[in-house]
Amino acid sequence: MDTTTLILEAKARFNHNATKAYLKEKYESKLIIAEQGGLWKADNITITLLSALTNERVVLIDTFGNPVEVNRQELFDSLSNTYNSVMQEWHAEWKNLEGNR
Amino acid sequence: MIRGALLFAFNSGRYDYYRMAEETAKRINHFLNLPVTIVTDEKSRTSSTGYNFDKIIITEPDKNNLRDWGVWINKGRYQAFELSPYDETILVDTDYMINSNKLLKTFDVSIDFCCHDTTSFLMYPDAPQEILSAYSFKTLWATVVTFRKTKRAKQIFECLEMVQKNYDHYANIHSFVGGVYRNDYALTLALRIANGHTVLPGDIIPWNLVHVGKKTSVYKNSDLPFNTEYTVLFDNWRRGKIRKEYAIIKDMDFHVMNKDNFMELIL
Repeated sequence: MDTTTLILEAKARFNHNATKAYLKEKYESKLIIAEQGGLWKADNITITLLSALTNERVVLIDTFGNPVEVNRQELFDSLSNTYNSVMQEWHAEWKNLEGNR
Repeated sequence: MIRGALLFAFNSGRYDYYRMAEETAKRINHFLNLPVTIVTDEKSRTSSTGYNFDKIIITEPDKNNLRDWGVWINKGRYQAFELSPYDETILVDTDYMINSNKLLKTFDVSIDFCCHDTTSFLMYPDAPQEILSAYSFKTLWATVVTFRKTKRAKQIFECLEMVQKNYDHYANIHSFVGGVYRNDYALTLALRIANGHTVLPGDIIPWNLVHVGKKTSVYKNSDLPFNTEYTVLFDNWRRGKIRKEYAIIKDMDFHVMNKDNFMELIL
């Protein structure tokens, strides 16, 4: 039995919250990257901080709580690219799954 | 630096772990592009379907661990450090369904050793985290462990051996049921002991271990060899009635607690 038939036969309902939680789980881990000797999450706080600072080299606290000196522009570019690509994927899958309801 | 994956597989009367390991190894080759070594015994090897592991290590299993359904051969995981032929190893349970290359990131996370400390259950987002007992620690998970052959990693595995050999003593101290040996509990204690009775952030994989619980069923959406899309069905109890709910997942690794369900997915 294919899964579409299985869902129909079982009269199963699409679980909106579980889907949101699954997507969050999947894509938040994709936001984590190792760069310049630290482990970073490409989240809005880190990206905003990097864009607000002006020095070429800055010290940031990585996800393990360690202070790491980095090249600000290079890390900003990496995290921004990661953020954009992951969020695009996240959005696309969300739209697709919502269409299945 | 040579990287690879290590699987432990000893068949029980009920489950064919060697067969599970073969299918998991194929997915490791495909998604992670890593060689796979298996640690097993001669008896389990007879269920081979001909998959060529990078290396097969035959050991004598410790069968001294009884569950309600029979002998569960899960002891001896501490030997991973000595037995692994790789400089950098991902040690993974045979019932872990790999659907992406995400585990490669654990090589970037870890200097010596890393494992999960937090889980999430598909279809049950608010499930509480497991603890050893009401008076003890949050459980660490031995499902996925990445380590390098360093002095510190060696110490952690030596501690794991020590905890395994004195499991009832630690069960008594930490007030958990010691009858059935669990690698997760032994790892929780061993890592803390090796770290001076604490957990270091760098030893923790910075995302959650995704479980498929026993009341959840997973179905393949395609019969293609390396399918990565699944439908997850869950019985949601509300006011004394069951309501079937589903979600569709893809490209996500997960640990299947129901071994029968795992066999259905791989065969």
